[in-house]
Amino acid sequence: MNTLNPSRTLNHFLLKSPSLQLKFETHDFNYSRKSNLGENIVCELKTPKNKKISKKIILSEGAPSLSGKDVVENEEAPLLIPKAGKNGGSPVLKFFKRAPRKFLSILANLPLAIGEMFSIAALMALGTAIDQGEAPDYYFQKFPEDNPVFGIFTWRWILFFGFDHMFTSPVFLGLLVLLAASLIACTYTTQIPIVKVARRWNFLNSAVAIRKQEFTDSLPQASVRDLGVILMGAGYEVFLKGPSLYAFKGLAGRFAPIGVHIAMLLIMAGGTLSASGSFRGSVTVPQGLNFVIGDVLRPNGFLSFPTEAFNTEVHVNKFYMDYYDSGEVSQFHTDLSLFDLDGKEVMRKTICVNDPLRYNGITIYQTDWSISALQVLKDNEGPFNLAMAPLKINGDKKLYGTFLPIGDANSSNVKGISMLARDLQSIVLYDQQGKFVGVRRPDSNLPVDIGGTRIVIVDAIGSSGLDLKIDPGVPIVYAGFGALMLTTCISYLSHSQIWALQDGTTVIIGGKTNRAKIEFPNEMNRLLDQVPEIVNSSPSKSEILNG
Amino acid sequence: MILFTLEHILTHISLSIVSIVITIYLMNLLVHEIVGLYDSSEKGMVATFLCITGLLVIRWIYSGHLPLSDLYESLMFLSWSFYIIHMIPYFRNQKTHLNEITAPSAVFTQGFATSGLLAEMHQSTILIPALQSQWLMMHVSMMILSYAALLCGSLLSVALLVITFRKNIDIFSKCKRNNLQIGTFSFVELKYANKISNALKLKNKNFKAVRNYHRYQLIQQLDCWSSRVISLGFLFLTVGILSGAVWANEAWGSYWNWDPKETWAFITWTIFAIYLHTRTNENLQGSNSAIVASMGFFIIWICYFGVNLLGIGLHSYGSFALTSN
Repeated sequence: MNTLNPSRTLNHFLLKSPSLQLKFETHDFNYSRKSNLGENIVCELKTPKNKKISKKIILSEGAPSLSGKDVVENEEAPLLIPKAGKNGGSPVLKFFKRAPRKFLSILANLPLAIGEMFSIAALMALGTAIDQGEAPDYYFQKFPEDNPVFGIFTWRWILFFGFDHMFTSPVFLGLLVLLAASLIACTYTTQIPIVKVARRWNFLNSAVAIRKQEFTDSLPQASVRDLGVILMGAGYEVFLKGPSLYAFKGLAGRFAPIGVHIAMLLIMAGGTLSASGSFRGSVTVPQGLNFVIGDVLRPNGFLSFPTEAFNTEVHVNKFYMDYYDSGEVSQFHTDLSLFDLDGKEVMRKTICVNDPLRYNGITIYQTDWSISALQVLKDNEGPFNLAMAPLKINGDKKLYGTFLPIGDANSSNVKGISMLARDLQSIVLYDQQGKFVGVRRPDSNLPVDIGGTRIVIVDAIGSSGLDLKIDPGVPIVYAGFGALMLTTCISYLSHSQIWALQDGTTVIIGGKTNRAKIEFPNEMNRLLDQVPEIVNSSPSKSEILNG
Repeated sequence: MILFTLEHILTHISLSIVSIVITIYLMNLLVHEIVGLYDSSEKGMVATFLCITGLLVIRWIYSGHLPLSDLYESLMFLSWSFYIIHMIPYFRNQKTHLNEITAPSAVFTQGFATSGLLAEMHQSTILIPALQSQWLMMHVSMMILSYAALLCGSLLSVALLVITFRKNIDIFSKCKRNNLQIGTFSFVELKYANKISNALKLKNKNFKAVRNYHRYQLIQQLDCWSSRVISLGFLFLTVGILSGAVWANEAWGSYWNWDPKETWAFITWTIFAIYLHTRTNENLQGSNSAIVASMGFFIIWICYFGVNLLGIGLHSYGSFALTSN
């Protein structure tokens, strides 16, 4: 046990360590000439020195194996790890060595992962069913204790588990963390070894083994070389050794699920960074005014650190809307200028919905609007700025109104002109009795006479609702998005493997695939139809192949 | 105005062809399988497909944006996606069980879109500012394509479940019973019944063995097809959700808002991710994964309709509530 027994390690290594065999991936048709090569792997193994072997074995020990059996067998040779060799096999150490592995294998358990996904889905569904972010009183009324939903569900549950803010509740976040842990564990303990096995290309040298595959066929009067050429034409990687053939296609389809998991982890990491390191803020600025970015932004988490760009001043040069012919709003635009501390303009851009401004990591979005004031000439005096107030009406359309007092402003019942506007396009005027007088466009300069008062609406000043954001997580999340899209697409590829053996003049073919189980036999039949039949007159050819 | 009339004409043509196709389908399945009729019904499907394509293109031309901005248009597009999924095996001369799922689904969706909704919904509407983006095309078309594929796949799984759990299939009474059943999977069942009855005629001797063999083969095939179609739908769903997230980051300032529609799309994604995972494990394969997929079927409908019916969240445009204003 204490010495490196070369034969034992070699054996061990032949069976267990798939990584080493990668070394021999020479796409070599010459193998077919070396008639009695036997195990070509053995030939190669003679060259590496003991040092190398031990290194490799540590590697294979470190990498978790596919099945439990391997784990046990690997642990029987702890001496291969230098440190463990000194301490002997103390049980405490063994326990510490095993504990993380056991933990990993529990985490990587598929039913557990499925359970996690189900509970996350259920919690999300619950999160959309329960109104989020209301005051506790709301839940007291909606989920009363004397009349619980489904017999048991009351406000106590909601407030105890934090279901009133489901997507930030500890239960939900905890499950997400658990899922991330499962993802890591599964990638490490299951997926990577599968890839190692998949990359091990092996010949099947017995007709029985080939016939055991999901798809089998035999071609009388055919040559395995012709088959190889046809498979290569169909995009397969083909390996030939003597009478045996091995071909595969779509190996990326086996690797891609790892990529999917890593992409998910990237997105989760980016999301965490977004949640802990971002700034947000929103502001409504009337046209012509300005604000400092740092005054608006509020930190979101403990990793939010202000940057120099916070001193930038934003000036709203102009806010305007585009309209359809029918009069409905088609787009909102805000002309913004950014000034640094010295008052120099560093950037100017007209933003609109779907086209935000980006400056030094700060993004400014057009999200809202309102009307702040009307400029009015009264009997050619003024212009007066009349502040507009939002009016509450049914429906989701906005309505703003203002009032211009006429006559004695100090008397108890002031009468005046009311002006209403839905957008910056047209203003509706009503007289002292509340009767409709007319509609004016701000830019028309057409006067309107109301009870002897001449009113000209000069301009309607809108204010732009802006959202500001700094989110350091976005690049990571986007990287994750890209990777996820790519790897999900690649995952659709099916990893197909084909084995063939020349048996006299007959070629026995076996194949399997992991995804496209229905298309694969069709494709195989189509390919095998193309294999040319060897006419009996040239027996020498098949002899060469066999010899 | 010409375009309006053209659209009307196309709607009527496609609907009348569809009704003929349905009749042929029913005749094929309930009375007797006539090969010629079956072929003509397939040709009818191609014609309807062309009509709907024309309809969507016309709508695109006169509204100036991709016809995906409200529920009617998205339903038409869903129906169109079903037709596409239906056409692909048809043109590749593959006979699959997908046909029995896609054809009725396409027909029902189209019928529902054309007749089930209020007439005012058919009018093309203008795009609100948030929808004016190149992402609209990518996001919505991907989502609806994925809905179509996932619905097909999960319906195949439902069919698989029905076949697996119905031990003794009484062929003739079943035909009568399923006559009125609206669920599209009944077509598969009937197809299967047809096969069995053929087998019955041919091989009276070992009827039972043949039946079991057919059944086993059918279940295998349904399983494979449903997983294949679902993984394709899953791919579209992933691309759709992610492009939606990127778009949201451009328009609303955050790539994920936990908006109800987003959340339900994510739930759908999770459910089908679970489905794909159950398929990797041999112990969970078969009816277990089929159960997950059938859950997915209902969740897609909640995601597609349910959230809009409530009219909550940022995806409320295109809902019923908005059009009643």
